[in-house]
Amino acid sequence: MTHASRPILALGLALVVLAACQSGRQVRNDEYGTDNARELALRQTGANPTSSGIVVFGVDRSREAQGGGTGANAGGGGMTVNAYLWRATLDTLSFMPLASADPFGGVIITDWYSPPQAEGERFKATAYVIGRQLRSDGVRVQVFRQVNRNGAWVDAAASTATNSEMEDRVLARARELRSQSAGR
Amino acid sequence: MRKILLGTTAVVSAVVGSAVMAPQASAQEAPTVRIGGFFRAYYGYTQQSSRNSVTSTGLPQNVGGGTESIPGIGTSTTSTNNIARLGKHDISTDAGIDVIVSGKLANGLTYGAQISLNSSGLEGRQLVQGRASAGKTTVAVDEMYAYIAHPRFGQVRFGDEDGVMGGLMNSGWVQGFGTGGVHGSWESFVTRQAGGRTTTAPGGLGDASKIIYMSPQFFGFDFGASFAPNANVGEDTGCPNNASSGYCDTAYAFSGARNFGIYAAGPEQNVKRNEVQAALRWRGNLAGVGLAATVGYIGAGAARDISTAGAQSRVFNGLNIWQVGAQASAYGFTVGANYTFGDYNFFWGSTMRGDRQAEQLTVGAQYTVGPFTIGSNFVTGLFEGGSRSSFTDSTTGPLVQGTCRPTVAGASNSCAGMRRWGVAVGGNYRLAPGMDLIAEWVHYSVREQGRDLDPNRPGVQSRAFSDVFILGTRIAF
Repeated sequence: MTHASRPILALGLALVVLAACQSGRQVRNDEYGTDNARELALRQTGANPTSSGIVVFGVDRSREAQGGGTGANAGGGGMTVNAYLWRATLDTLSFMPLASADPFGGVIITDWYSPPQAEGERFKATAYVIGRQLRSDGVRVQVFRQVNRNGAWVDAAASTATNSEMEDRVLARARELRSQSAGR
Repeated sequence: MRKILLGTTAVVSAVVGSAVMAPQASAQEAPTVRIGGFFRAYYGYTQQSSRNSVTSTGLPQNVGGGTESIPGIGTSTTSTNNIARLGKHDISTDAGIDVIVSGKLANGLTYGAQISLNSSGLEGRQLVQGRASAGKTTVAVDEMYAYIAHPRFGQVRFGDEDGVMGGLMNSGWVQGFGTGGVHGSWESFVTRQAGGRTTTAPGGLGDASKIIYMSPQFFGFDFGASFAPNANVGEDTGCPNNASSGYCDTAYAFSGARNFGIYAAGPEQNVKRNEVQAALRWRGNLAGVGLAATVGYIGAGAARDISTAGAQSRVFNGLNIWQVGAQASAYGFTVGANYTFGDYNFFWGSTMRGDRQAEQLTVGAQYTVGPFTIGSNFVTGLFEGGSRSSFTDSTTGPLVQGTCRPTVAGASNSCAGMRRWGVAVGGNYRLAPGMDLIAEWVHYSVREQGRDLDPNRPGVQSRAFSDVFILGTRIAF
């Protein structure tokens, strides 16, 4: 051991103490570098090292989580829509109450939402995440608008710009999520 | 004493148990055993200078043939009559099987193990002992380790695995294109003449049996440290009989140690001892750009050499290496740079006393669009090559340190540093998840003024180079 490693050892011990006191984020195994040829190839080609291969003992949870449960969907071949776009769409629409979200079909439907600053109108959004690729045309958002006329909600036209603005926000968020993971 | 131990253990378990191992809302998962693997086949067209060799162990120095440390056997017995003429075309194949075990406890603790079997463990054959050698496709264990990880206290890996600066937490190495560019599979096509085959990339540091700790991430920072008592892997002591030698994992001094600054080509033998690695890494996101930076240190001691007189001589500098690297990713682009500086040889070997320090700069960029990835990387470095120090045996005391000066003016000598540089351009087409088509070109150059890097040709050839063009495919599953 050389002279330089002693202060590093001390610093390391101090950092371990810090680690025990603070609550940090768990670093996943795929955030570490690797010299393993299989894992390098899988990462490079966009496949997931933790769900590739064949499970010879135990329950294959990666497929269960992606492909959906039991019966006809068992081992259904993984997530059918892009995970970044899916997460980004959920994040973007999270200010509205969620009515349904289907990660396999890629459909998110919100409930009616009335913004505090516009009491007389309410909105509902339907988002479709299309395909596995992270592409600018991989998400479609349709916003519906109703206005309150004499105590009854009636349909009204929503600005077409609203749809594309929502899509832009989703794409921006997806890009952010992608670049966060790209730094690993 | 036992009371104290018990008391201490109780206090520790109370503190640690409540603060660190506090149960978390987490679903327990029964362990799974997963089998995966990879296969690759590359065609390579190779142009390499000094490819027609007269010796098997003459260049570079600090690499023994595997028999130098056995008392009574002097230098390599394979130094003559190995003349060969090599062609330019070859197909190189490789495969590996991984067994991956993983599970999770109800308190959030995840655990598992990885065992990697690889058919590239044996680089080649030198028929020193005839039938004792094994085929080139013989499967050998590469990495094998167990891990325990917890959201609060981080992860511990225990076993044969790369250290935190040996690939786990480095930043700035851009090699996610082709086969890895200047640190990729071109090495499968060139011979070791002049040390051109070996490069100084993190994975080359080796996965000697070690213990590794890596922390959780705080404010973007995580850190890690690892320790390996010696350079060897696997079970047993490494000594094949009752004559202890340098093959023993724990030998801290042995006869002929001066030949093993770099891992011997055949047996796992190296003078590296008490290797410590430490890394501090930051990752984050600024304006949509993913960033990562690492600063780290690698330190190690070296086994001493025992002379005929029985004296132990310190012939090596220990490893004493600093590394800093950074990379940025956005819009499909990744750029990165890495600088490594300190006491090390061109293949993470220990330098001899009196040798110069090394420095290496690596830069790279790659771009991914749809199924295509293209990239380029470049490496340049100044290293000790032939070693300006040499040590000769002594029957009366410690080893005697020699000089690099030639006895005859104009003869090959190793008084100059070794300049190495390489550049690569490569691309991949992703045929399917896990499967690539690959094309790549690599140029690599080694220059050492005044030292003959091609003894087979007349005069002093101070430069050796290789160009490799690769076409192939790779599948991982």
